[in-house]
Amino acid sequence: MLDLDVTIMPKMDRFRSVLIGVASLAVFVVAWQAITMATNSPFLPTPVQVFQAFLKISTIGDIDGYTLWWHIGVSLYRVLLGFAVAVITAVPLGLLMGVKPLVKNVASPITEIIRFIPPIAWIPLSIILLSGINRYIFLLWIGIFFPILLDTIAGVKRTSETQVNMAKSFGADNTAIIKKIIFPSALPEIMNGLRVGLGVGWMCIVAAEMMGGEPVGLGRLILKYANLLQIDVVVLGMVVIGLIGLAMNYLLLSGERRLFKWRVEIKA
Amino acid sequence: MIIAKGLSKSFIAGNDTISVIDNLDLTIDEGKFACIVGPSGCGKTTLLKILCGLEKQTSGSMLIHGQPPDPKKQRFGVIFQEDSLLPWLNVISNVKLGLELYRIKDADQIATKYLDMVGLEGFEKYYPHQISGGMKKRVAIARALAVDPEIILMDEPFADLDAQTRSIMQKELLSIWSKLNKTIVFITHNVDEAVFIGQSVSVLTKRPTKVKTTVSIDLDYPRSRLSPPFISYRERILGLLQEEISSL
Repeated sequence: MLDLDVTIMPKMDRFRSVLIGVASLAVFVVAWQAITMATNSPFLPTPVQVFQAFLKISTIGDIDGYTLWWHIGVSLYRVLLGFAVAVITAVPLGLLMGVKPLVKNVASPITEIIRFIPPIAWIPLSIILLSGINRYIFLLWIGIFFPILLDTIAGVKRTSETQVNMAKSFGADNTAIIKKIIFPSALPEIMNGLRVGLGVGWMCIVAAEMMGGEPVGLGRLILKYANLLQIDVVVLGMVVIGLIGLAMNYLLLSGERRLFKWRVEIKA
Repeated sequence: MIIAKGLSKSFIAGNDTISVIDNLDLTIDEGKFACIVGPSGCGKTTLLKILCGLEKQTSGSMLIHGQPPDPKKQRFGVIFQEDSLLPWLNVISNVKLGLELYRIKDADQIATKYLDMVGLEGFEKYYPHQISGGMKKRVAIARALAVDPEIILMDEPFADLDAQTRSIMQKELLSIWSKLNKTIVFITHNVDEAVFIGQSVSVLTKRPTKVKTTVSIDLDYPRSRLSPPFISYRERILGLLQEEISSL
């Protein structure tokens, strides 16, 4: 009985959920169109107007001549740099905090306070102290670091004591135990932290770009056109941010599924 | 040759000192298949951890080939009661783990050889979640054997298996042991299992534990569970164990 359910349902489910998803999206766009037509406000663009703005900005460019693709590229570049710095710092610290109680006792009073300060609150200080790409990297690092750190620590706790004893019985030293047992055990959680962190970073970048600096980046595009009261481009920027966030999440999720077949199997 | 003399181990829990092993003496000759039985919770696993150098005794001595056990200097093949395979590695990579930790060359070749020995030819690329409990134990045995250990230590290795698989594994372990001629220390709480596979059965007392008696099982392999001497050995050891359990 159970087997039958498990093997037949997924195919049906997938087809139906895609169908429902597409229908839901269509209803949303139609409702959007209907609301804008009903309110007839110059500040509420229709889906068609947003699409026209997309054609314009992606081919001709914005008021400063930067195309949509350039804005996307710059924002992505900043996010990935900040993300890389956060991964390089958060994963080793998380592993150490998970393995060595002393490191945890020293570090956690500091990290536990800083993690509740939203990245936006760091913006004034970062404007004063940092410039150029460093400011973006710093703000993104602040946003991405903590989800990865917390998930890494949580992942280390999942390590099986038997597996560690087994490695020790083969003479493994601490470095080998971290490399061969603890890191792979924690990897699913770390990957989850990376996914959450990338999402947070993508949200941070928009806020960071709105605070001045170079006239490029998706956040800056939105701000420029908000000042001009051309809301169609503002909404275009918002939609693009949403779509790229979705794409990045999807990429990481499918990477996770491939990497953790040994763990996902149970769900299928 | 394993010699334990006056071995004691205690743990500190809060303000209390819990004595787990007290003045234990044990000698196991080279190449022997030695079983250790004891009431559950008596400290069998602690003894095994001291045997392979994972824990240090509080006092007394434990010598393996004249040296205190240290997995960095000697090689042990430890098989744990719980599943100790790494779920993210396939079967052959699991077997290679000990070889890699000891930086032994030709790991692939050696791992394949021992996988064949435990009857898992063709399962190299399977992942632990794709194979049965009995097969997982075989992988763990192959992993332990692959490092060419000086002694093999087994902590209730077949406790989680069903009766049928368990009986098959006991026979296969005996056949592997006769081929390799290595010392095996086999800890179990199952007296029938101990009498079936061991050349000697050491009965441990309740905690704090020491060796109550070591019974030499003078029966040829393969043994029959129905033969009168087998039954009499089993009854005798069960009786010794019963004294410990009833006095708890």
